[in-house]
Amino acid sequence: MSDSPTLGDDLKRLEDIVRRLEDEDLGLESALELFEEGVSRLRSAQARLADAETRVTQVLKDSSDGGTIRLVPLDE
Amino acid sequence: MAMPEIDEAWTVSLLARTLKRRVEDDGAPIWVRGEIAGVKRYASGHCYFSLRDDLARVDCTMWRSSVARLRVPLEEGSVVYALGHASVWEERTALRFNVTQVLPASAVGPAAQEAERVKQLLLRDGLLDPARKRPVPEYATRIAVITSVAGAAVRDIITVAARRWPGVELFVINSAVQGTTAAAELVAALDLLCHLEAIDCCIIGRGGGSKEDLVAFNDEMVCRAIAACSIPVISAVGHEIDVTLADLVADLRAATPSQAAEFALPDRRDVEVRLDRARRRLVSVTATLLRARSERVERTRDRMASALVERVRRAERRLLAAGGKLAPALARRVVLPREHVARIESRLAPAMRRRLASFDAGCRTHAASLDALSPLAVLGRGYAVARDADGRVLRRSDQFAPGIHFTLTVSDGTVAARTEDPHV
Repeated sequence: MSDSPTLGDDLKRLEDIVRRLEDEDLGLESALELFEEGVSRLRSAQARLADAETRVTQVLKDSSDGGTIRLVPLDE
Repeated sequence: MAMPEIDEAWTVSLLARTLKRRVEDDGAPIWVRGEIAGVKRYASGHCYFSLRDDLARVDCTMWRSSVARLRVPLEEGSVVYALGHASVWEERTALRFNVTQVLPASAVGPAAQEAERVKQLLLRDGLLDPARKRPVPEYATRIAVITSVAGAAVRDIITVAARRWPGVELFVINSAVQGTTAAAELVAALDLLCHLEAIDCCIIGRGGGSKEDLVAFNDEMVCRAIAACSIPVISAVGHEIDVTLADLVADLRAATPSQAAEFALPDRRDVEVRLDRARRRLVSVTATLLRARSERVERTRDRMASALVERVRRAERRLLAAGGKLAPALARRVVLPREHVARIESRLAPAMRRRLASFDAGCRTHAASLDALSPLAVLGRGYAVARDADGRVLRRSDQFAPGIHFTLTVSDGTVAARTEDPHV
């Protein structure tokens, strides 16, 4: 699990940026900073959508081993 | 026993017809005692259900005319005496008990009785309170699935996930969903959840099953484990008609595992639409903002330049006037401010130029990123936008009255224009 923002985070932040640009009377510097962040969020979200792949893992508990949890790819 | 001749092989329809005759020839109706399960009422008025006991079950049909004569409606789990006769549906060679009359037995089926007892306990403990229900996260990335890995449910969920929201990670925890160990296995699977990190929600369920196959989802410990779960739980017991106690205690009830996956995951097409809408708004609001700012900068630059020139001229006039009247000593005192003004001017102008130059550079960088995303780039290819005096875009020929003044925005600025004859 990485701490990088998820697609959901990107989308919400992007919409928040657009709302702020539309509704708030921002200085030019902050407006352009927001625009740049918006563009990078947009690209990151689009990239995530483009190369996403579903991963399916089976969660196993080893009864012999005091209940260690193992994650293995699910055989279909 | 002698091996039959292969050229005497029966057709399937002969087998079906023969069975039908053997089953139906007797013809006399019989009473059957059993517990009602899986009642389906159709718009046609006919009813379908099963009768069951501990060892067997039989599919029953009840035609509209008989349904109309029922004194007590058919109720899940109730034990009844049903009058009817067995028949074979040839198309499927399937046995049916055609029911013409139903009398409720005084007792209630043990499975339904137990479910009612558990329901009262859950109610008493507040576990069925709608206020307990938590929302499912909007953009889940990690979802746990508790079901049988051998069942259809897990495949359905994977299929829906791959279609709707390919970035998701599914963590499948295998559990029996019917049979004597099912309840204990479901509880153990729910316990495993807390060992997984950052799971957004959990789907627990199975594909379709008859009511008698759903007892594990009415189990008290299973329901309590669902209620105790630290993340939102979606139940997907795969039975449109029967609502299990697991459905009632879960945060969200889905009719099928596929529907549970739809509840748990956003649709990428919706997200693409939202992204595109956000992109267009981002570009247009920033372009508007930049245009307004650059106009303001130009106005300020013009005003500052003329104010500066005016100040210098005034100083010069004062010096000239003073020069004629004052003694040379005094004149020196006046010369000093003149030099001061000149010095200021010489420092101010380059500083102002530098600031404007860096601002222009900034604007160009941002305009370049805007261009990459926006229709402004179209202007670079030789198109022009016509606007009237109020800045409204002129799109149709009828907006160009003869002789009106308008502006054309081209890739590097605007030009004033006037209509000669709109009807060329």
